[in-house]
Formats: sequence, structure tokens, C-alpha cells
Amino acid sequence: MTEAPVVVAPGPAPVPGPRRGSRWLAILLVATIAVGAYLWVTTLRWQSTSAQWEEKAHEYADEVASLRMQLDGASSELEAARDQLSTATARITDLANEKAQLGDENVASQQILDYQTQVSTAAAAVASALGQCVSGQEQLVGYLKDAHQYQAADLRRYERQVNALCDDAEQANQALQRELQP
Amino acid sequence: MRPSARRGRALAVGVLLVGSLGGCGVLPPLPDPVPSDIVPSAAADLSPAAGGDALSPDGFDAVERMAVRIRNVGCEELSTGSGFAVDEHTLITNKHVVADSKELEVSTYDGHDITVGATSTAGLADLAVVRTTDPLPSHPQLADADPGPGDPVTVVGYPAGGELTVTEGEVMGSTRDPLNANLGEVLLTDAPVEPGSSGSAALDARGHVIGVVYAKTADDNSLLVPLSTLQEMLADDTAFTPAKGC
Repeated sequence: MTEAPVVVAPGPAPVPGPRRGSRWLAILLVATIAVGAYLWVTTLRWQSTSAQWEEKAHEYADEVASLRMQLDGASSELEAARDQLSTATARITDLANEKAQLGDENVASQQILDYQTQVSTAAAAVASALGQCVSGQEQLVGYLKDAHQYQAADLRRYERQVNALCDDAEQANQALQRELQP
Repeated sequence: MRPSARRGRALAVGVLLVGSLGGCGVLPPLPDPVPSDIVPSAAADLSPAAGGDALSPDGFDAVERMAVRIRNVGCEELSTGSGFAVDEHTLITNKHVVADSKELEVSTYDGHDITVGATSTAGLADLAVVRTTDPLPSHPQLADADPGPGDPVTVVGYPAGGELTVTEGEVMGSTRDPLNANLGEVLLTDAPVEPGSSGSAALDARGHVIGVVYAKTADDNSLLVPLSTLQEMLADDTAFTPAKGC
């Protein structure tokens, strides 16, 4: 006897339910909404921050412009001050030099004055010596007129003294004349 | 539903989910709050006081401030020379500048008179040391060594007794002293000098003393007592003796 083949009818395949797909879609939707919300908030924050930065940039730009003007003014003043300083230092150098030259002239004048004083003193001494010589010679002439009243030895001694005095006076006079020659 | 359709939808959902979650990693962050002040603090090397040591209190630089004019009032004549400070109360000049002196009168770059004390002269070099009672405005440093040929030289002094003058040149080399005023060799430079420049400081590019001017040659070069001689003399207590007046 031949057994009839056993035929087993396949059971129903598991059908993914629409609930499972919807769950995934819901998760996806929520995630998308969350990301969108985050992007929206981020955009607002960046817009706000950008506006603040732009305002600050304008403030600093104004400040830079003001500082540049001040810098230009300060640079001009500095340049003028440098010029004035240069002029002042040059003037100080000139004045120091003028003072030094005047000092030199004063010293030179004083030295000339001292020299002239010495020459005048020497001339006075020479004149005095020559005067004494003349007086001595006059006295000697007087003695010689009355030579019989004096000892011959005394007259000769007096004559030597007068001659020595006159020689000294003459030498002093010659020395003075040499000194005065240019 | 067929299996292939299911796989396709699952794949799409997965891609979207992965894309959404992965996108969170590249989303822009929220901005930081705007700071109230973004001005940086000033850098130290940009401070206005930086390099202030090089500034002069009155517009004259250091090489001018340390030079002095010396008037030698002799018993019969007047002469002038130059000198420079090596410390607050000491001047260096030439022996022949202070020779046969009845009185020395020293003045600074700005015309101030400096009261002078004792004067000493060296026996083996044309050098003299003048002590001052009043403080001197400025004094340079001595260089480390004698200069070599080609080195720049700056001479600061009072040529011909005139105003303070700065001249420049180069060291030409060393030579025997044609005046026999110094023991050993002296330096020859092409920096212009004149009578009255004697005693001037010769400075290198850094403003340090490398020698003392003491003479001018027939071909308009200048002769210096070298730094080494100056240092030897200053280090020797017996090198200087009190100067004899006229």
C-alpha cells in the first residue's frame, strides 16, 4: 500500500504590523523635530551674537578712528617737539661755546692786563732809577764845583756810586725798551 | 508584503535614523557669550619705558654729555683742550693739555663750569687725570680691548677750542709714536682732529672708549693713546704724579 504523501500547508507568514513601522517613523519624526528645534535656537543665538559682535566692531572701529586721529595729532606734536628739542640743543651748544669764547677772551684780557701792569711797574721803576741817576749826577756836578771842600777819595767813591746807579738804570731802561718792542 | 520591500523600508528608516543621529555630531554648537572687553593687555616690550636707558634727559646723547672743555690758564699764555669723564669725579685728558698750568677751568657740553681738584700726569704716556669736586654729567664705559684696523671710531671734543664736535673715521692701524710722548705703540685713525681736540675720547661703535686723542699727523690723520695703555696707567698707582704748575 502506498502512503499518500503528506502535504503540509504552510502557515501564515508573520506580517510586520503597521504599528512597528509607525513607531520607527514616530522616532524619526521626533528626532527631526528635535534637530530642527536645536537648529532654530542655534540660529537665533548666532544671530544675536553676530549682532552683538557687529555692534562691538562698530564701537571699536569708532574708537580706532578716534585713536588714529589722536595718534596723528600726537605724532605731529612729537615731531614738533623733536624739532624744538633739536633747536634747543643746538642753541645750548652755541651758548656754551659763546660762554667759553668769552671766558677765553676774559682770561686773555686779564693776562694782557697783568702784562701791562708789569710793564707799567717796570717803566715806573726804570723812570725812578733814571731820575735817581740824574739826581746823583747833578749832585756830583755840585760836589765837583766845590771840589776843594771835599776829599778826593770821597768824590771818586761817590762818582763810582753814581755811575753804578746810572748803569743799572740804563740797563733796566734797555731791557724795558726790548720788552716793549713788538 | 514581500520581503524585499520590507528590507528596503527598514534600510530607509535606518539610514534616516543614522543620518539624524549622526547629524547631531556635526550640528553647530551654540555661540559663546560675547565678552564685554576684548582689548588685549599691552605687551611688555611695547611699553613706552622700554629702552628708556638710551634716552637723554636733555636731548644730548651720552657721548656729548661726557665730553668736557679744558681751559689751561698758564702764567703767560692761554690754551684749550678736551677731556672726558671716566667716573663721576674723574677726567682723562692729555698731559700736554694741563702742562704749565696756573689754573684749569673745565666746562661741560651745556656750558656748566666744573670745579677742579687735583691734577696728575703720567710719566710714560701723554695722559693726565683731573679730579673734580663737582659731579660730571655722564661717563662712558671703557671697551674690552684695543680696536683693530677698519674698526669705526668716533671722536668727541672741542677742536680749536670751538664748540662741541663729533667726528668719525676708521682705525688705520698701530704705529710707533712719532712724538715719543708715549711708551709703546699708538693708534692711527683717519678721524679728523684739530689742535684743541687733544684729550678727546675716541669711541667705538658702541660708545665705549678705545683711546685718547693726543696728536694730529702732517697728513691730517689722528693719533690715539690706545685703550690698553690707558688701562695700564690707571691700574698702576705710581703711573701718575701730581702735575707741576707754572
